[in-house]
Amino acid sequence: MATKIIPRTISKNVSHPGVNMGSKGTFKEKLKSSQFLVTGEVSPPKGIDFSPAIENMKSIQGFVDAINITDNQCATLHMSSMAFARLMIENGYSDPVMQMTCRDRNRIGLQADLLGAAALGIPNLLVMSGDHPKCGDHPTAKPVYDLDSVQLLRTINHLKKGYDFSGNNLTGAPDFCVGVVSNADPNERLQIMKLEKKLSFDVDFIQTQAIFDIEKFKEFLEKVETDVPIIAGIIPIRSVQMARYMDNNIPGISIPDEIHERIQAADDPVSEGMIISAELIMRLKPICRGIHMMPVGAHTYTEKILKKAHVLE
Amino acid sequence: MIITKAKPFEEILPFVEGRKSIFIIGCNVCAAKMRTGGEPEVLELADRLEQAGHPIIGWALPTAACSVRSFDHLVAKNEKIKDADCILVMGCGSGTSVVSSVTNVPVTGTNETVSLGGCLGLHPSEHLCILCGECNIGDFSGICPNARCPKSQMNGPCGGSKNGKCEVSRENECVWYLIEQKMDSIHLIPTLSDIQMPKNHLI
Repeated sequence: MATKIIPRTISKNVSHPGVNMGSKGTFKEKLKSSQFLVTGEVSPPKGIDFSPAIENMKSIQGFVDAINITDNQCATLHMSSMAFARLMIENGYSDPVMQMTCRDRNRIGLQADLLGAAALGIPNLLVMSGDHPKCGDHPTAKPVYDLDSVQLLRTINHLKKGYDFSGNNLTGAPDFCVGVVSNADPNERLQIMKLEKKLSFDVDFIQTQAIFDIEKFKEFLEKVETDVPIIAGIIPIRSVQMARYMDNNIPGISIPDEIHERIQAADDPVSEGMIISAELIMRLKPICRGIHMMPVGAHTYTEKILKKAHVLE
Repeated sequence: MIITKAKPFEEILPFVEGRKSIFIIGCNVCAAKMRTGGEPEVLELADRLEQAGHPIIGWALPTAACSVRSFDHLVAKNEKIKDADCILVMGCGSGTSVVSSVTNVPVTGTNETVSLGGCLGLHPSEHLCILCGECNIGDFSGICPNARCPKSQMNGPCGGSKNGKCEVSRENECVWYLIEQKMDSIHLIPTLSDIQMPKNHLI
């Protein structure tokens, strides 16, 4: 069964450059403001000792506007994003963004966790399909995908209105701030079409895959034409091999030759990677609403990069 | 056509261990086409089992293992089946189930049942349909994303599709890439922007 998308009023994703210092207000409120936003990402532990992950959170919580918690990223088993989001709240951070994939739960499981997350005080969601189990450390697991990300967004919309997937009334409705993900390749028209489907369901923000090619990103912005805030992904490159691997293997990532050459020529590729990230952030500031820092590993250099980019003082 | 793959010979052995009169049933439709249950494969398996010391008392090749009418129907093909103390079915899971329902001895299949596929020319093509019972293949001009996308993505490609290849195996084309090409060639791309609703699994 298929339904038509209701046409949306569209306008440009307007940017408002400025210095961000982890200002007051919730992430949802900040999305409605004009400030340039910085978000980060923390992985729950592979096990039950959560203190190193909480330390990682603490290393950025003073200067970011929201922190994503990954949901068994790369289809690799970790503590649940909902449990770790709650642990973050109990450890002094109030604005976690719970990532939720469609890979591991059917429509009952997804809704049950959404209601649980709301009751536990988790304010934000980021919805995605999720990597296939074959990509991770449980390759023989049953891939669920009962709902796809578009269908999950529709279901979240229903929950927010006070009823479940089947139309039954809820005792209290969640009020999530909801984000969606997208690759930012202007030539992938079906990926853009899918993003437009997602945006028909009351979406509060869009988070993109890591951006390295600003010209391509500008083309993408022109094609999407939305007033939903777009937050561009940033992954600091740490080595020649990492740049090559991401360019060749990670869908949605395209690294221009110039960046490969700079990393290749650098005496210290980590420092050069930081400079490249800072330059990218400075070029992104006038054209989108924020950046999402997703380093491989801990946020050791995130603050430095943001200072270099004059996003932090 | 049901796509099957033969189990490794070693996996069949524990089932026949200690049996004195093994009977084999092939399938002359899908499994014959897949070369997992036609006459040559039945004779080859019988031979290998005999050589490994497992006595075969006979075999039969019904038109379709999944459409066997009765035990008498099998007896008419080869009355040795009456003396069997176990039966190996070289068909799909459905064929094995049907044979099991008309016999009173242990029954097992010698194949893995992979999917509902087809034959494009001489080459079998897997996973063309997953028998979901709620067919909307027309929305995609005859290419089913529910069956052919490992994530059953109904509203467009996932973020793992790269250069027209699938995240799960870069050897395979992303089904959404195939849909895009087909729909483009017949000027139907705009219809893909309709939102596909979740499947009804009650059917």
